[in-house]
Amino acid sequence: MLTRSGDDLFSVTTESPQDAQALASQMRDSGDWLEVIPGIDSVVLQFDAATYDGDDVRQTIESALAAGIEPLQISQSLVEIPVIYGGEYGPDLNALCEKIGLTADDVIALHTGREYTVDMIGFTPGFAFIGDLDERLRVPRRKEPRQRVEAGSVGIADERTGLYAMASPGGWTIIGRTPSRLFDPNAEQPFVLGAGTRVRFTAISADELNG
Amino acid sequence: MTITVIKPGLQSTIQSRPRVGLRHQGVPASGAADPLSLALANRLLGNTWEAPAIEATLLGPTLRFDCECSFSVTGAVAVATLNGNEIQAHESLTAITGDKLTVGAAEVGARMYIAVTGGFAAEDVLGSSSTNLQAGFGGLQGRALIAGDVLRFEPSAIESARTPEEYRLPMSSTWALRTCIASETDSLDDASLDNLFSTNWTVDRRADRMGVRLDGPRLNVASDGRMPSAGVIPGTIQCPEDGSPYVLSVDAGTVGGYPRIAQVARVDRHALGQLRPGDHLRLLRREPDEAVVELRAKLAYWREWLPDIDEIL
Repeated sequence: MLTRSGDDLFSVTTESPQDAQALASQMRDSGDWLEVIPGIDSVVLQFDAATYDGDDVRQTIESALAAGIEPLQISQSLVEIPVIYGGEYGPDLNALCEKIGLTADDVIALHTGREYTVDMIGFTPGFAFIGDLDERLRVPRRKEPRQRVEAGSVGIADERTGLYAMASPGGWTIIGRTPSRLFDPNAEQPFVLGAGTRVRFTAISADELNG
Repeated sequence: MTITVIKPGLQSTIQSRPRVGLRHQGVPASGAADPLSLALANRLLGNTWEAPAIEATLLGPTLRFDCECSFSVTGAVAVATLNGNEIQAHESLTAITGDKLTVGAAEVGARMYIAVTGGFAAEDVLGSSSTNLQAGFGGLQGRALIAGDVLRFEPSAIESARTPEEYRLPMSSTWALRTCIASETDSLDDASLDNLFSTNWTVDRRADRMGVRLDGPRLNVASDGRMPSAGVIPGTIQCPEDGSPYVLSVDAGTVGGYPRIAQVARVDRHALGQLRPGDHLRLLRREPDEAVVELRAKLAYWREWLPDIDEIL
């Protein structure tokens, strides 16, 4: 579904995060946009309303949708993300275990036991939405968001893992932290993860981090 | 050449142009919350519109000039003094070594801009030297100014200038922002939709570079008020669980999980940076194409004094 969502905005709803990413990447490559922002099941497109007329922009998007969305290339490389689970780095792990009736070892085994894909980057620089979690690990967002979640924190909410590339406020259940640097504004390639990146988490101990 | 920060004011940051085209990587716009006032300050000094300047919030800084140079002050109405003598906003002024510039409390509006010839040296990150406070990059070490900071710049000689009266951005405590309906406007019930556009909203204490919360009648959205994260830009109005509309500003995250109930049109987005707690605000409903006509008229008006207005608004 295509809607005009502002004087300089259109919004397209999609079937899946993969479709949103694929459409966004296709539109970005083929058009003159100020922003193309894929969401979980949508793409928001901002155009320069000083230059372009809304009706023309609508037609451009409609033609692209009619021609069909090329599936996104799944990246071949697999990024391994070491995580220290629990303790001071994963302050919500114990509460999570009580809530879902599993031990910490169970949670870690389930979380490290599968391969994931980055569905989307957004909210803060480099924040990665990574799907899909094992159904036994799914809990809603915290009612009271934290004022500050440290960089590298690994959170879960609903069907996804969220990776905080930098410190920010946040409402996800924090189960661990990675020492990997996920965003370096001064690097040539500032973002380690992108939509479509394959990810696997591995458990490490705090000693390994310090040693 | 340098300026030394004696007192930083409430929250002063180095701001320039926004970061554009990176929201899909989670990178917010940043940049001057009121880009028009930034451009006006730079215009007086012969700078490019986005030359990095100080954006001061509600209470301005005290600065010491360590060299002779020209500077200008624009934005919110505030008393400014040079060595204790009141100076005028909207004029290019000259300071000599040892002069102290104090910008006082904003009386109307929220943000003052202090520019120097050539602009301040600042850390360029991802295409802009604007400060991103949340992520901690850009500007001066990605943070707000503190006492003792030394700001560098390369002054040059300029012709003196004043902003013509008709281009002095009016400051007010009552605002009207032209606004379109958005993707989830239909999740509001009828009474709430009516209230959205008929209420004289009050700007809440929670008004900063991230966004502005509006106080007034509680709005009701269908469902539990949560949705899959979707793209937002400055000017997007969300309706969080508490039913108070929240207007996103330049530092807002790039996606959000609350219904997007309206969108402030591009023509009036620059005014978001001047809203202060206690101000009153009406949202004027516009069809998208009406708002575009108004945008183009505004651009045409400003182009004579600010030739780069298309990039500024």
